[in-house]
Amino acid sequence: MMYKMGRKLHRAALGAVVGAFAALTMGSPANAEFDLAGKRVIFVPISMGISLTEGWARRMGEHADIHGYSFEIRDAAFNMAAMTELLAKAITEKPDVLVVHNPTVQLLARQIRQAEADGIKVLQINLQSNQPSTAFVGANWERIGTGIAEDIVKECGAGSGKSGKVSIIPGQLTAADSVIMNEAAFKVFEQHPEIEVVSNQASDWEPEKARQITATVLQQHPDLCAIFGHWDVHTMGAGNAVKDAGKADDVLVYSTGGGDDVACKAIEDGIQDRIWSYDADGQGRDAGTMIDLMLQGAAAADGSMLIAESPLKIIKAGPDYDAGMCWSM
Amino acid sequence: MAEGLLSLAPGRRKSNLLAMIVLAVTVALIIVFSIAVDGFATVGNLRVILSNSASLVILSCGMGVVIISRGLDLSLIAQMVAGATVFSIMINAGAPGSLALLVAVATMVLVGMMNAWLIAYVEIPALLATLASAMFITGLFRFFILRGEYLLLLPKTNPAVIFLSSELLPGVSAPVALMFVALASAWFLLRRMSAGRTIYAMGDNFQAARLSGLPVRTTTIIVYVYAALAALMAGLVMSSASGTVDFRTVTNGTLLFEVILVVVLGGIPLRGGRGGIWNILVGVALIVVLRNGMTLLNVTAQTQDVVKGVVLIVAIVTDNYLNPRDTETDTVGDL
Repeated sequence: MMYKMGRKLHRAALGAVVGAFAALTMGSPANAEFDLAGKRVIFVPISMGISLTEGWARRMGEHADIHGYSFEIRDAAFNMAAMTELLAKAITEKPDVLVVHNPTVQLLARQIRQAEADGIKVLQINLQSNQPSTAFVGANWERIGTGIAEDIVKECGAGSGKSGKVSIIPGQLTAADSVIMNEAAFKVFEQHPEIEVVSNQASDWEPEKARQITATVLQQHPDLCAIFGHWDVHTMGAGNAVKDAGKADDVLVYSTGGGDDVACKAIEDGIQDRIWSYDADGQGRDAGTMIDLMLQGAAAADGSMLIAESPLKIIKAGPDYDAGMCWSM
Repeated sequence: MAEGLLSLAPGRRKSNLLAMIVLAVTVALIIVFSIAVDGFATVGNLRVILSNSASLVILSCGMGVVIISRGLDLSLIAQMVAGATVFSIMINAGAPGSLALLVAVATMVLVGMMNAWLIAYVEIPALLATLASAMFITGLFRFFILRGEYLLLLPKTNPAVIFLSSELLPGVSAPVALMFVALASAWFLLRRMSAGRTIYAMGDNFQAARLSGLPVRTTTIIVYVYAALAALMAGLVMSSASGTVDFRTVTNGTLLFEVILVVVLGGIPLRGGRGGIWNILVGVALIVVLRNGMTLLNVTAQTQDVVKGVVLIVAIVTDNYLNPRDTETDTVGDL
C-alpha cells in the first residue's frame, strides 16, 4: 500500500517536474504566439504611390506575413468618390479590421460609424475623422502646428529683426491635418501680434498651385519671413518659387511629412528649411502592432479610442543636419 | 466660298462680341484690383502673371486649335503630364536634355497620332476618344512606367531644368518665351498654312469640308499632334518651375476646366469654325487677372473656383442678352 502510494507520489512529483519543465521550456513561448491566421485586414488609403502610404503598407504587410492574417489594399487613387465606394464594399466584406486614411474630417465619418456598429474594428491612420473609432495611429497635428508656429515666432517675431510676415499653404481647408494645424498655429500667433499671416490659401496638395501662390505672395510681400506648408510634397513647389525668386536665404520654408529620403533631399537642395517629420516608416510599424493588438481583442476599457501618437523628428538645414533621420523604401 | 463667308458673319459678330465683353470685364477688373489690391499694379506682379499663365496659354493654344476644328481634347492634361514624365525619367537617368526632349517629342507625336486615328479613321467622337485616351495614358504612365508612383521630382541642378526655368533675356523667362512660341505657332498654323484653312472649314461644316475633297483626316492628325506637342511644352514649363511632375494635376481636373473656360470665354464656340489667337489671349487675360487678384486678396482656391464659375455664367448670360438667339444664328453646341 505504502509502496503504491510512494509510486503515486513519485509519479505525481515526476509529473510536476515534467510539467514545470514543460512550462519553462514551452509554456512561455506558447503564450507569446497568438493565432491570428485566417483574420482579415483591409487598408483603404487616399492613394498608393506616395511614400507615406507605401511605407505604411510595407510595414503592415510585414506584420500580416509574420502572423498569418491577410492584408489587402484598396487604392482610391485620390478619387474621393471611389474611396467611399471602396470603403462601402470593404464594410460589406466584414473584415476583422479596417484601416482608413481619412481625406477630410467628415467624408468617411458615417461609414466609420457604420463599420464599428457592424463589429468591424476601425483603425484610423494619421488623419482623423470627426467620428472616433477603435484606434488611431498617427501624428499629433496640434503638437506639430504649435511647434512650427512657435519656431516661426522665434525666427520671425519680436527681436528677430524680421517682418513677421507668414504665408500658410494648407493642403485642403477641410483636411484633418490642415484644420488642426491651422487652429494650433493661429492660437500661437494670436499671442504674438507682430506675426502677420499674409496668406492662407490651400493648394489642393499640388506643388504647382503652391508654387503659383508663393510666387504671387512673394511679389506682394517681398519681405516675407516664413512659409508654413502643411505637407512637404506640395511645399516643394513653394520652396522652388522661393529659390527661383532668389530669396532662399531670406524666407524660411517649413513643412511636415513622413520623413522619407525626398525630405532630406529637399533640405540638402535648399528647397525647404525645416521639416517636422512624423516618420511614416515608424508609423507603419506602430500601425502593424496596433492591428495585431486589435485582432487579439484590444480596446480601450472606457470605450474611447486607443491612440498611438507618432514621435516627431525635426529635420533641419544647418550644422545639425543628419541624413540618417530620413528613411528610404 | 463667298456664301460660306457670309453665312459665318452673324456667328463671327457673336463670338467677337463675347470677346469684347470679356475684355471689358478684364479691363474693369484690372482697374479695380489696381486701386484696391496692394501690389497688383507693379512690374514684378506683371512678371508673375506672365510666368504663372505660361502653361495655361500654351495648353489653350492646343485646345483652341482642336476646338476650332470642331474637336475636343479631354486628354490634354494627361498628355501634358505624360510628356513631362518621359522628359523627367530621361533626365533622372542621366540623359542629356536634347535627347530627353527628342524622346518626349517622339512620344507625344505618337500619342497625338493615336488620338487622331481614333477620331479620323475609327470615327469615334472626339469627346469619347480623348476621354478614353486620357484614362489610357494616365493608367499606362502611372502604373507601368512610374510603377504606381504619383510624383516625380526633377533635379533643379540639371542644366535642362535650369534652362527651362531661367531668364533668357532681362524680364523674359524661358516659360514666357515658350508661351510666345506656342502663340506664334498656333497663329502660323491657323492663318498661314493650308491646313489652317481646312481646320476652319472642318469647324464650320465638317461634312461639307469632307465632301468638297478637303484632306480632313490628314488635317485631324495635324491638329491632334499639334495639341500633343503643345501639351508637352506646357508640361516642361510647369514641371521645371515646380520641380515636380504630379499626376494629381490630371485627376484633380481643375486645369482642364480652366483650359476649356479660357477658350470658350475668349469667344471660340465649342462647335468650332471661328476664333483665333486673339480669342485665346482675351480668355487667358480674364482668368489670370482674376486668379492673381484673388490670390493677392487671400481668397481661397475653392472660392476662386466658385468665382470663375460665376464669371463664366455671367459672360454667357450677358452675351445672350446683347445678342439674342434666333433660328438663323442658333446652332447646336454653340454658346
